[in-house]
Amino acid sequence: MNRVQNLTQAYSQAPWRKQLQWIGLFMLVLILVALVAGIYLSVSAEASSNGRAIQAMYAQIERMEREIEDQKTQLAFLTSNDEMAKRAEEMGFLLVNKDEVLYIIVPGYKRSGQVILGSPPGSPVPGASMLSPEYTQSLFDWLRERIFEPAAPLVQEVRP
Amino acid sequence: MSNEFTWRYTTLGVLLSALAGFIMVQMLRIQISPQADDLRLKGMAYSGNLTIITPARGEIYDRGGNLLAGNTTVYEVGVELADVENPGTIALGMNAVVGSNYDDIFAAASVKPSEEAVYASLARSVTAEQKDRLEQLAGEMQKAYGDSKEQDRPSLAGLTFTPYLQRSYPEKRVGSNILGFVSREGRGYYGIEERYNDQLAGEARKVWISLDPNQVEDRPNVPSGVSLILTIDRDIQSEVEKILDKAITESGSEAATIVVMDPKTGDILAMATTPRLDLNEFWRYDEIFMDSTPFNRAISKTYEPGSVFKVLTMASALDSGAVKPDTNFLDTGSIEVGGNIIHNWDRGAWGPQTMLGCMQHSLNVCLAWVATELRANRFYRYMQAFGFGRLTGIDLAGEASGRLKIPGDSDWYEADLGTNSFGQGVAVTPIQMAMAISAVANDGKMVIPRIVLSFVDQNRQYNTSPQIAGEPISGETAHTLTEMLATSLEVESSIALVEGYRVAGKTGTAEIPTPTGYTSSQTHASFVGWGPVDDPQFLVYVWLEKPTTAPWGSVVAAPVFRQVVERLVVLMNIPLDKDRRRLMDN
Repeated sequence: MNRVQNLTQAYSQAPWRKQLQWIGLFMLVLILVALVAGIYLSVSAEASSNGRAIQAMYAQIERMEREIEDQKTQLAFLTSNDEMAKRAEEMGFLLVNKDEVLYIIVPGYKRSGQVILGSPPGSPVPGASMLSPEYTQSLFDWLRERIFEPAAPLVQEVRP
Repeated sequence: MSNEFTWRYTTLGVLLSALAGFIMVQMLRIQISPQADDLRLKGMAYSGNLTIITPARGEIYDRGGNLLAGNTTVYEVGVELADVENPGTIALGMNAVVGSNYDDIFAAASVKPSEEAVYASLARSVTAEQKDRLEQLAGEMQKAYGDSKEQDRPSLAGLTFTPYLQRSYPEKRVGSNILGFVSREGRGYYGIEERYNDQLAGEARKVWISLDPNQVEDRPNVPSGVSLILTIDRDIQSEVEKILDKAITESGSEAATIVVMDPKTGDILAMATTPRLDLNEFWRYDEIFMDSTPFNRAISKTYEPGSVFKVLTMASALDSGAVKPDTNFLDTGSIEVGGNIIHNWDRGAWGPQTMLGCMQHSLNVCLAWVATELRANRFYRYMQAFGFGRLTGIDLAGEASGRLKIPGDSDWYEADLGTNSFGQGVAVTPIQMAMAISAVANDGKMVIPRIVLSFVDQNRQYNTSPQIAGEPISGETAHTLTEMLATSLEVESSIALVEGYRVAGKTGTAEIPTPTGYTSSQTHASFVGWGPVDDPQFLVYVWLEKPTTAPWGSVVAAPVFRQVVERLVVLMNIPLDKDRRRLMDN
């Protein structure tokens, strides 16, 4: 009996060592939790920051669209028929009469046809999403994409 | 020692557990309480906004790509009621800068803020300059009185400015009768703006926009309204309007209309009429268009056209074979049709005449005889084929169909055949006349007048095609009649003639019907012409209402046609006939 006790005593750890192990284990768990929380906070903060940036960009898009409309209209006011006639008169131009016009043949000249303000129907117009996936996918989506989806080739084929 | 502290730890544990349990129970109670839905809704209200994304209204361009109708940023000025410090200053500022009514603004800004009253709109369509001035005033007041503790210190605090797009017309009055306008509510009235309101306005969408940056989502792409490219040429329209205004002054006319059309495609190159409105001040509509004045006389006002109608009577007779250009007619000065005695415009007898002479001297008696030779059924069949009595189909809002009485109608009498032959007793619009006569200028093919050349939707351009409304006469008839009308102008040395260009045309002077019969003291003077005769590129219809200097179309309307053509040939790059032939030969 004494022998068993001696053996157990010989192979059992000292109480202070056990305590240290427990403290170590606790600290490890604590550090892991802190690490995960830190990563989560960092990712969340970055996502929020990007979200705010996107919101600000949407506001900027609206402002710029209005500005573009304004500028187009302002330009049209500056180049309106009345304004152009006034400017031409100030610069000394006169209205041309039918007898003063000289028509000549210019080889290769083609009279400009109808005004073009858009591409013809049927031609491809790229329809891209306004937000890239980086702004919308979660960490898990990203991981899944990286793990399960085939990697992009290192060298992309270039077609002439 | 451990026993000494155990009960303390146990008590603390129980208390903390009880607290946690209480919080859990309270959370559950709130979740399942009758007010839960209200609370959720309140929470939702703060989590984002239900925003209506209104697309920019589509633009309108002329055929050269010049902007005729665009959009500009204006502001809605409002007040956040909780932030208002001095309603009097706000009312004074709005009155001085925007011109708003002091009492109205004061009342709106004085409303006590509550859960229902948070914001009040004070004025819309405020320009950027006015908004800048208000902001400047607010800044100056803050600087001067910001530190003051007085209760009624001057302050514009609470004012807010919300930008939005509003219709703007860079050309102001030019082409206003064609374009129409857009009200403050965004609805199009008259012309293109009304006809294509749905397409131009686009489709607004309601979108929930979360304020939580972690829930930011891709906003739906709300495309702008469809843009339109018109057949109108801004430079031609402007020139024609100038000529029209001058003609009204010189002839003392009450109003006037000029339509310029490409007879091959139906493209309306210009459509000038009176009165015109600066579309940027559309709220003045009521004072300019009083007493149910039509917005666009060219398509909405019907009238008895008079002798210009003879072109169509003669076209029908030649086409049916009832007469030939050299058919002889003895004009005795009067003819009876259906019991009604018809006289010439000068009440004279012109003796033996060919059909060319009848058109040249515009003889009512001769044309009434031609109509009787044609017979009523055939005459009205032709007139219907020319499109009278129904809409032309021009893509503008507010077109009138006019009236053509036909045999079988309760108010048609045989006498109408005689008067209708020279344009009396029929109600037509200038655009109907232009369309009908396009058949004569375009090898017998009548084209539907069109205003929209292309639609531009989401960066794709869809071009429209010219539409043939019918072929009321043969190409041969069209050429014969064109030749007759060109010759008659030349023989008469008409003031409509344009040196260097061969044109065909016809004058018209119509008495105006009144409740007591036709009055000779007031007339409608018209002229229709097209050219160059061998390759028509323009058709011009001129209508002067009640000219006072002279009643005759040949005196007041013919020179207007010449003036228009003289500008047209330059703006459309049409060389003199001899040069054109030489260039074509080369």
